[in-house]
Amino acid sequence: MLDFSPQPYDWAAGFQHWLAIMVVAGVAAFVSALFISILALGFAGPYHVLVHLKGAVADFVGTSPRRCLAIAKLTFLEALRRKTLLVFVVFAVLFLFAGWFLSDVTDDAQLQVKNYVSFVLRTISWLILPVVLLLSCWGLPEDIRLRSLHTVVTKPVRRHEIVLGRILGFSAIGALVLGAMSLVGYFWINRQLPQSMKSQLTARVPIYGSISFLNNEGSQVEKGINVGDENMFRSFIEGNTKSRAIWDFANVDVSRFDQDRLVLESTLSSFRTYKGNIEKQLMCQYTLVNPKTNLRVPLAPFEVNEFRRNVYDVLAENRNVLQDPDGKTVDLIKDLVQDGALRVEVACLSSAQFLGMANPDLFIRLPDQPFASTYFKSIFNIGLMMVMVVVLGVVAGCFLKGPVATMLVAFVVIVGKLAHGFVVSLVTGDVQYNPNIRMQGRGMFEALYRIPTHLTPGVELQDSFFSRLIHVLDNIELNGLYVIHFLFPNFGLFDTTQYSANTFDVPWSAALLPSIATTLAYILPWILIGYFSLRIRELEAK
Amino acid sequence: MSTEAVIQTRNLTKIYRDFWGRKKVRALNSLNLEVYKGEVFGLLGPNGSGKTTTLKLLLGLLFPTDGEVTILGRSASDVTKNERIGYLPEESYLYRFLNAEETLDFYGRLFNMSAATRRERSRKLIEQVGLKGARRRRLQEYSKGMTRRIGLAQALINEPELILLDEPTSGLDPLGSRDMKDLIIKLKEEGRTVVMCSHLLADVQDVCDRIAILDGGELKEQGEVQKLLKVQGVTQIKTSQLSEAVIKEVEALLARHGAKVLEVDHPTTNLEDLFIKIVRESAERPGQRYVPPSSGNKPAA
Repeated sequence: MLDFSPQPYDWAAGFQHWLAIMVVAGVAAFVSALFISILALGFAGPYHVLVHLKGAVADFVGTSPRRCLAIAKLTFLEALRRKTLLVFVVFAVLFLFAGWFLSDVTDDAQLQVKNYVSFVLRTISWLILPVVLLLSCWGLPEDIRLRSLHTVVTKPVRRHEIVLGRILGFSAIGALVLGAMSLVGYFWINRQLPQSMKSQLTARVPIYGSISFLNNEGSQVEKGINVGDENMFRSFIEGNTKSRAIWDFANVDVSRFDQDRLVLESTLSSFRTYKGNIEKQLMCQYTLVNPKTNLRVPLAPFEVNEFRRNVYDVLAENRNVLQDPDGKTVDLIKDLVQDGALRVEVACLSSAQFLGMANPDLFIRLPDQPFASTYFKSIFNIGLMMVMVVVLGVVAGCFLKGPVATMLVAFVVIVGKLAHGFVVSLVTGDVQYNPNIRMQGRGMFEALYRIPTHLTPGVELQDSFFSRLIHVLDNIELNGLYVIHFLFPNFGLFDTTQYSANTFDVPWSAALLPSIATTLAYILPWILIGYFSLRIRELEAK
Repeated sequence: MSTEAVIQTRNLTKIYRDFWGRKKVRALNSLNLEVYKGEVFGLLGPNGSGKTTTLKLLLGLLFPTDGEVTILGRSASDVTKNERIGYLPEESYLYRFLNAEETLDFYGRLFNMSAATRRERSRKLIEQVGLKGARRRRLQEYSKGMTRRIGLAQALINEPELILLDEPTSGLDPLGSRDMKDLIIKLKEEGRTVVMCSHLLADVQDVCDRIAILDGGELKEQGEVQKLLKVQGVTQIKTSQLSEAVIKEVEALLARHGAKVLEVDHPTTNLEDLFIKIVRESAERPGQRYVPPSSGNKPAA
């Protein structure tokens, strides 16, 4: 099961956001350049800035694909002849022995598939990223140190062609390694999995709805009952009460159903108490509702398979006959989902027991796609992440030496992959260790005041000129950090292992589109940074 | 000789600074230089005199602290000027994992040449620099002389109008050095302009039309080699070998005309000519020892 709700990506809003940041960053960079040039060169400085900008436009207009490809080919050959492919040895060793530890650890086919797929995708990801990171971070600095670049820049090569060529070359070698690893991984999963479990290798295609709850009195509430989890993702409904979990599905396309059959799949948690029969499986009932006509069709109850998938073929489970509460026969397609909207109400029928769920726990299951579909989509996303690392590495190499560039890029990748959410909450001042307590003292200057004065974060600062000054300084600092945090992409976006390992198809709008958009959004500004770094740099400076 | 300047520098100054922007060294100080089309121009000077800095400023690898550079009518920072320039760096900073053919193909691509042109020029240049037998070997296996040769080939891949050579004969054996000088003269005959910097004075004297002497980053002398080297107030006469009696008679004749004989000697060849002669003869007659020629013409009685 997924422990997050896939959200469709709003590309239009994303693009507007990107454009706004680019304009602000561009203006800030231009103003800074003017200011620095005046400091360095006096009143002739702005003229030099304009000359560089004009030269940049001419450079980009004069881009030669042949030169870019020449540098890409050189980079590819360089990586190849420096024995980059030795990474396969590590890969092969891991795969030779992984079977010892991963085979037959459980009889649960779903869990076994999850283990194998997670292992393969994570191994590929964590092997390929360090390789491309090292290659891309050391490529240009070594070229500059050994002065091989001198024979290139003294040809009619534009600086951005060097950056683009390097990116293309490293991406090509990375793609070669990734392609080979992914094929080996795919066949390894197929070979390792026992014949009896192979049917689990699939890509489920869900249609997700949006969840809401009714409490025990039947009133609308934001969430269900918390049964004691500190970090509550799933909330619960109580059995044999008016409490319900309600999923509203929009834009249901019946033409995608398999032979007009509606299949609901759920993974529901149970919280059993001694007030009821704790040893008995919980009973659950779906009710289909047409939200436009308010036609309600209660379906046959079923026993909840805890920690397992409950696949419910609506017609098959109801002997191909659906009836409203008055006993009138209802057509599934015409009367319930023809308009594209469907509501599913979930009730727990076991007294004093609780059924837990979150938004992704119930969905309409469309006909499955082949497992290769979800697997290679995850590989594609790893490829995009690899390209991001390559671009970042090459750009860092334009103005830093190899070791420093490596550390910088590794830092950005690790923060972007493991702590992006935390960074965002830090710079937006939304750090909340306890959702019920608004934390005070969120800025550096306020903290600098609170620490020596032993003022706890729960206490407000007294209103004074000094406290207002602290707030102003903190706002400047936090807004600066807010702008800077955009330099750190959310590498977590690219990890779609959860989908593939749980045999879900990787959705286009919620997973692929955000990755593609993020990659494109970062590549352009990074390339510009690399280009200007190389352009204003004296390659022979002592 | 043409008076069209292909390189012009005005008050060209370069100061290297440290990380904090403090002056570290003044490598070049107000250099005014003109190089004309079709000539071989030599930049001379001891180590650290500013020769290589000048070349790098011309190529845009360094930015001037002050002054201006015009090269082929364009600014040194204009990348399009490189389409007409060939550059051989002091060390051959080539990609050592490539072989000779791949190297020339790569640099040819940077000039946007078609595949057919690249193939044709690579073949011709590899033959010209004498690397036909080693064209498939990676550069990391090359000797220093071979690396210089392939470096020269890459500098000529675009058939440049202006060729900048940084210490072109450094690391070459006398034969290679002679070949390099012959090639420079051939390039001049083809109408190309060559700028070379070197501290090997004999090489410069052999090939350069004009020179500039730098020291401590400043221009000390500039002019035509022949004029600069001409020794005033001395006349040299070369004849076939003379007997002692004839020599005395010539001395007497000169004394009657008020001239003073400063030196009468048998000229010697230089070591380079001797070395090349021995090596070439050895190649023609393998296994036989070199026999110096007899004392020459019979002296005039």
